[in-house]
Amino acid sequence: MRLKSQQKSLVMLLGAGSLFLLAFFLVPLLFVLSESFVGDDGVVTAARYMAVLVDEQFQNVYVRTLKMALVVTVIAVFAGYPTAYLMMKLKPSRKAMLMSLVILPLMTSPVARTYAWIVILGRYGIVNQTLSVLGMTKEPIRMLYTEGAIIIGLLQLFLPIMVLNLVSALENVPNEVEEAALSLGSNKVGTFFRVIVPLSFDGLIMGVTLVFTGCITAYVTPAILGGAKVLTLATLMRQQALVLMNWEAATVIAVVMILTTLVLHTVMRRFRPRNQV
Amino acid sequence: MKNSKILILITALVFIFLIGPFIMIFLTSFSSDSIMRFPPKGFTLAWYTKALNIEMFRTTFWVSLKTGLAATATALILGVPVAYANIRFNYRGKNALELLFSSPAIVPGMVIGFSLLRFFVYVSNIPIGIGLYLGHTAILFPYTVRVVSSSLRNFEGDIEQAAISLGSTPLHAFFAVVLPNIQSGLVAAFILAFITSFNNVPVSLFLTGPGVATLPIQMLSYMEYYYDPTISALSSIIIVLTVIVVQSAEKLLGISKYV
Amino acid sequence: MAFIELNGIDAGYEKGKPILKNFNLSVEQGELVSLLGPSGCGKTTTLRTIAGFIMAEQGAVTIGGKDYTNVPPNKRNIGLVFQNYALFPHLTVFDNVAYGLRRRKVEKPEIAKRVAEVLKLVSLKGFESRFPAQLSGGQRQRVALARSIVIQPELLLLDEPLSNLDAKLRDEMRAELSRLQHQLGITMIYVTHDQIEAMSLSSRIIVMNEGLIEQTGTPEQIYESPATPFVARFVGFDNHVDGTLLELGPKGVLVDVHGVQFVSRRPSPNLSKADEGKKVSLFFRPDDTLIGAVPGANAMEVGIDFSNYQGNTTQYAMHLGTHALRAVVVGKPVADGVERTVFSIPPEKLIVERGV
Repeated sequence: MRLKSQQKSLVMLLGAGSLFLLAFFLVPLLFVLSESFVGDDGVVTAARYMAVLVDEQFQNVYVRTLKMALVVTVIAVFAGYPTAYLMMKLKPSRKAMLMSLVILPLMTSPVARTYAWIVILGRYGIVNQTLSVLGMTKEPIRMLYTEGAIIIGLLQLFLPIMVLNLVSALENVPNEVEEAALSLGSNKVGTFFRVIVPLSFDGLIMGVTLVFTGCITAYVTPAILGGAKVLTLATLMRQQALVLMNWEAATVIAVVMILTTLVLHTVMRRFRPRNQV
Repeated sequence: MKNSKILILITALVFIFLIGPFIMIFLTSFSSDSIMRFPPKGFTLAWYTKALNIEMFRTTFWVSLKTGLAATATALILGVPVAYANIRFNYRGKNALELLFSSPAIVPGMVIGFSLLRFFVYVSNIPIGIGLYLGHTAILFPYTVRVVSSSLRNFEGDIEQAAISLGSTPLHAFFAVVLPNIQSGLVAAFILAFITSFNNVPVSLFLTGPGVATLPIQMLSYMEYYYDPTISALSSIIIVLTVIVVQSAEKLLGISKYV
Repeated sequence: MAFIELNGIDAGYEKGKPILKNFNLSVEQGELVSLLGPSGCGKTTTLRTIAGFIMAEQGAVTIGGKDYTNVPPNKRNIGLVFQNYALFPHLTVFDNVAYGLRRRKVEKPEIAKRVAEVLKLVSLKGFESRFPAQLSGGQRQRVALARSIVIQPELLLLDEPLSNLDAKLRDEMRAELSRLQHQLGITMIYVTHDQIEAMSLSSRIIVMNEGLIEQTGTPEQIYESPATPFVARFVGFDNHVDGTLLELGPKGVLVDVHGVQFVSRRPSPNLSKADEGKKVSLFFRPDDTLIGAVPGANAMEVGIDFSNYQGNTTQYAMHLGTHALRAVVVGKPVADGVERTVFSIPPEKLIVERGV
């Protein structure tokens, strides 16, 4: 195509979308970010950041959020790999059926999904009732509004994401590779760790990145299962912004969230093989 | 297959963990107990009647539906040309623009909602309902671009050139040849984007207020005050509808490859 | 002036990085011309420039005396057949073929008539309501052909149209293309990397390399008298030996190779008296080589690396100094365990080019 006409079509194709995102995404974001560096007197300052970052409650919440994200990620890897591996070995029809079950938690309303855990972990929920019938507990154990409850809730959301990433990575590992490794004298477990894992490493890294960053920014799960008792970065931000009307603190938390996510993305990208995008 | 027993066990546990909770919701939604207790006692449809009759759920359902449809349609109209440009053309600054187009999916939803709220409050008195629609459109945009791009990638550019060599203008070729052949990608994008919008909490959280709320936000606030199976009943309805939509979309379009 | 003229064309996919530089081409009306060359030689770029999908940065495209340089591709009335058929997957065979006619606002009954005619021409009568996915590769290619000739184009461009077909179908389709070309008398430009295809179809072959025309000629001229080392190698003169030109005479040339004199009756037209004493390259085909002949004219002792008996022929891998040589000879191998043998090459089978 003539270059002039290509430029014209590019403007037509990209113009509306770019303008929309500029006006209703990028500019508001930059506006809020810039605002956080300006003090009440209109002078550029990092004071707002200092105020939040030295706060002990914030530090506790931040550490707790990272810790829970780490736990969820580790469990998701260890539960996700065998699941994805087995799914790859199944007949296409069975695999498709399991696939649609895997995406179910991702597609259903997060409120409905998380609410289920209130039913399960509640005072009279199935876990407490079973324990008391078995005579193992006298009083119901408080499981809701604990870190454990949040971890369980997050896991139900993010395990599918890990499985999906691993499945699509394993799909690119030819069956023959595994057979070749076995024929060369490697045992099953050895083959898995020396051949399958390295070849699906990219999917693993993708999954880890998405799960970890997703845990840090997740809102509904900690809101329902942690409440105001066990705050995470997301629920703390909501509390600051909408309950305490402390916009400045909420902005700082938002910046911390973005930075943490960006750092994770950058760090994890270094682990990814060169030939992948 | 020595280790396949362990594999099967782990996989079974994973699926019980993923799906079991949904079954629990069903069971409790029919319980005649007014507090949530296991095992459920009796059988009643009263909670369903109650859920469907709560005025706030009905109005917020319509808000969610309208917002979802409008935002999805807008995101598709904006996203399809962008996806097309990125698949067919190479141009200067492509990487930077692609980053812009995908960033609403990277920036946490809460931050997007929060900054829109601050911005709207600061610069103008944009009605909150419009703000909700704009925020949802922004987060759906990367979705539509990604899904439509991946179906465009499978559509050979030669077919379009064939149409042009037979006398179509590039614009006519796009509507007569390209769009009909990426139909399933468009439908998949529509379903995924709509579900994403309908379920969204982080963005809506900041762009709702007195008078304007979405269904998930309304459910959250109901849960703060009441502890009865009404939410079980409402959740069951939503889950069943989602399962029907997702399963048929998976059967017809293989939607899981786009998730 | 020829029917199609490309004059001083600079064209490519990226501005400032033309694949074709100052490119010239002319094709007469009713001709079937092949553009032959390896991938990346610029043959597809040439085709797309003629079709209008690549706009020339420099130069002019003239078709039938009219300047087409800045005419967009949808206004050119040029038929285009793609390697991967590029049928419209959502349209039936009938609608695929009718597409161009509808764009030209042809009346409905006329469309039906012309589509029926062209489908009969490509032996696809009765397939009107099938979809492309329900057709075999050969049938798809026929639909693609029908779709591009039904608009009665001034010119038909074919981009490796047979390379996705298996060998047997390829032969059939080649014959069919030939028949159509004679029947319709349409001007065709045919892009291929397959010399057999080019030889058997075209009246003229243009061999391209790195955006330049290496040689233009009839199939026989290209095959028998390659004008450049590149063309020689491309049409199967796989053996290459360096030497010094001793004498360029009217009856042939005399070349010195490692102290042995070789006679050739096919010197390149590029050679002149002035090249005497300079380096030249000798080219010959593996199957023109004789093995174990009596030492004499054009004979030389070489080392055998291995021989490979293939039934009615034997293949030899040999070396002469650092040059690897190949020979395909009718008959069984010379006695086993022989490490050296004499090979010879008839003077009329030996090409001499300027040194490479």
